Amino acid sequence: MTGAEDWLAGLVRALHRENVDGWHCDQVLAEVRQHLGESGEDPFAAFGAPEQYARVVAGELAGDGGPPSVSPPLLAVEGVAKSFRRHRVLDGVDLRVAAGEVAAVVGPNGAGKSTLLRICAGLESPDAGRVTVHGGLGYCPQQPALVDLLRADEHFDLVGAGRGMGRAEARRAGAELAARLDWVPDRRPVGELSGGTRQKLNVVLAALGDPAVLLLDEPYQGFDGESFLDFWEQVWHWRDEGRAVVVVTHRPEQLKRVDAVLDLGRQRVGAGERSR
Amino acid sequence: MPRHLLDGAELYSGATIPGMADDRRAQWLRGVLDLCVLAELERGESYGYGVARALEELGLGPVPGGTLYPVLGRLERAELIRSRWVDSAAGPPRKYYAVTAEGTALLARERAEWAAFADRVGTALAVGAGR
Repeated sequence: MTGAEDWLAGLVRALHRENVDGWHCDQVLAEVRQHLGESGEDPFAAFGAPEQYARVVAGELAGDGGPPSVSPPLLAVEGVAKSFRRHRVLDGVDLRVAAGEVAAVVGPNGAGKSTLLRICAGLESPDAGRVTVHGGLGYCPQQPALVDLLRADEHFDLVGAGRGMGRAEARRAGAELAARLDWVPDRRPVGELSGGTRQKLNVVLAALGDPAVLLLDEPYQGFDGESFLDFWEQVWHWRDEGRAVVVVTHRPEQLKRVDAVLDLGRQRVGAGERSR
Repeated sequence: MPRHLLDGAELYSGATIPGMADDRRAQWLRGVLDLCVLAELERGESYGYGVARALEELGLGPVPGGTLYPVLGRLERAELIRSRWVDSAAGPPRKYYAVTAEGTALLARERAEWAAFADRVGTALAVGAGR
């Protein structure tokens, strides 16, 4: 089967050249590998040259752009305003995020990014305006809210129970999400975990039970470069699954790929502006 | 919708096609492969190679992976089917596909359309007994 392995290695290189992202690349690869293993077919006969098949896959994914979604937003923020003492933090903020869309919330410190997410999560009331959420909601606060004496899987139990999941289901889903962030939970109390690992748990808990709307407040603090990329791959995966995702970020790298950027630093100009 | 699902798919890419007759059958299949895949999945959840084998057993000829998986991908993105990975007893996990309610509805419509079309072609090709 070394011929097949060579062919698969060629496919990986070709997919990278075609800018197919890691998650799709893994999916395609796993499926092709499975097919070749079971059918015993010659990869060239079944799929053509690796470059040729990579082009088909990439064309496929690019053609996916299609018409912009007209589906009703899963998250709608309309005219939200909020002041603390006499300082106006949010002033008439609008944001609509439909199924299968990722919105980035950017802006300098104190621009109200976290406040907006807390309002969306229902933890704080706006002075004016309203927030509508369709479906389940997962919220990942900037500071992980964890119980230091409990293990990671006990966190899965707790949060899963709150979302109507059985214990086994919650643990399996938790472990699966953790693995996507390249983390294997162990039996240590989470108080002993590193900051980055605690943050991964924070993300996993927000996503447990597959909520339709995900609010992530700078969820990658303490992540190393690799984990940062894993995290964004996961975000694109959620988008493909049809979730509405809002990410507060001060990192510009991924803004080109999101569906909308809400810039609270220049709210009036950039609010809800389409970036692609 | 079903027409554009197949646009750009290179049917039998990488395989040699001897003769006109096979080429014509490939052209026919090009127009209905997505529906055949959909129908196969309506008969039961299955994975790529399983679908390929089933279509071959139905006499639709070998459908190479390079043709089949892009069709599955397109059907999935159109939300006519959905997928999940399932561990297999022997070997690597398989990606299983199942028809969605939308897929079933589309199949019902297109099935009727195809029957009517095939009927008309049958009439057009019929030996001239009546006239």
